[in-house]
Amino acid sequence: MEHDEALARMREIQRIMERTTLYTLLPGTPAVIGGVLALIGCAISYAMIHSLDFARAFSLPLQAQIGFCIMWTVIGVAAVAQEIALTARAAQRQGIPPMGRPWRVAGLSLTPSVFVAVVLTIKLLMDGDIQYIVPVWMMCYGTGVYAAGLFSLRMPRLLGLAFIAMGTVGLLVFPQYGLLLAALSFGLLHIIFGLLVINQAGRGHRK
Amino acid sequence: MSKPIMPEEIDPVIHERVRLAIVSTLAVVPEMSFNELKQGLSLTDGNLSAHSRTLEEAGYLDVEKTFRGRRPLTTMRLTQKGRRAFRQYLATLRRIVEQGQGSRNQAMQIDGRRTP
Repeated sequence: MEHDEALARMREIQRIMERTTLYTLLPGTPAVIGGVLALIGCAISYAMIHSLDFARAFSLPLQAQIGFCIMWTVIGVAAVAQEIALTARAAQRQGIPPMGRPWRVAGLSLTPSVFVAVVLTIKLLMDGDIQYIVPVWMMCYGTGVYAAGLFSLRMPRLLGLAFIAMGTVGLLVFPQYGLLLAALSFGLLHIIFGLLVINQAGRGHRK
Repeated sequence: MSKPIMPEEIDPVIHERVRLAIVSTLAVVPEMSFNELKQGLSLTDGNLSAHSRTLEEAGYLDVEKTFRGRRPLTTMRLTQKGRRAFRQYLATLRRIVEQGQGSRNQAMQIDGRRTP
C-alpha cells in the first residue's frame, strides 16, 4: 500500500468515527423531553392568550406579557439544559471528551442560525411583526440542525428539513397560527424524532 | 530507518473497504443494531450480512440475535480480538504514512541540495 492510499484510508476512518460519534450523541430522550416542554409551553400560552396567534400575547396587560416572556425563557433554558446534561452524560458513558470535535461541530453548525434568529427576532419585535417570530425560529433552527446533520447521519438532516418546510409554510401561509406551528414543530416533531432515535438505538445505549 | 511494511502485515479482513467502515463505526460504540449500521453506512441488507459474516468468522465481530417485542433485533459489537486487529491496522497505516513522509522529506532535501 502506498503512502497516499494509507493517508486517504486514515482520513476515511477518522471521518467515519467522527460521524458515528455525532450519531451516538443524537439526543433521543432529551428530544422527547424538549418536545414535551414545548407542548407544555404552548398549552400555558394558549391558556393565557386564548388564541393560536402568538402575536396576541403582546396585547395582554404588561404584567401578563412579562409572565409570558418569563415562562418561555424558563422553558427554553430547561429544554437546553436537560439536553446538554443528558447528552453530556451519554457522551461520558462512551468516553467521549466533553469538548471533542463532534461537540464543536454541532455547536458551530447551530451558532450562526441561532444568531440570525435572534437578530431577526429583534427586528420583527421592533417592527411589530410578531406573528413571524415562530416561523423564523423554525426555519433558523431547522437550518442549524440540517447543517449539524451534514456531519452525522440522515435523521437529523430530515428533522432540519422538516423544520425548514414547516417554517416556510408557516411564514408564507399561516403566520397567524404561531402557537400551533410551535406545538407541531418544537413539540411534536421533536417527540417523533426522539422516539425514532430511541427506537433505532435498539437496546438503548443512547436512551 | 524503520523496516518496510510487508504486504502480509496488512490484515486482509479489515483492509476491505466495507469491512473497514463497519469496524471503524463499531470501534467508537459499545454496540450497534444491524439497521443502524446498515443506514449509517448506506449498505444493503445482503452486503452488510455478507461482510459481517466474514468479520464474525475471523472472530472480530460478535453478532447477537434477539427479539424486541415481536421484532427480531440483531446487535453487533467488536470483540477484543477485533479491537486489537483494528488498532494494529491503524498502526500499520500510520507507519506507511510516516515512512512515505520520511521518503518525501529525504527526496526534498536531495532536491534542495541539487538546486542552487
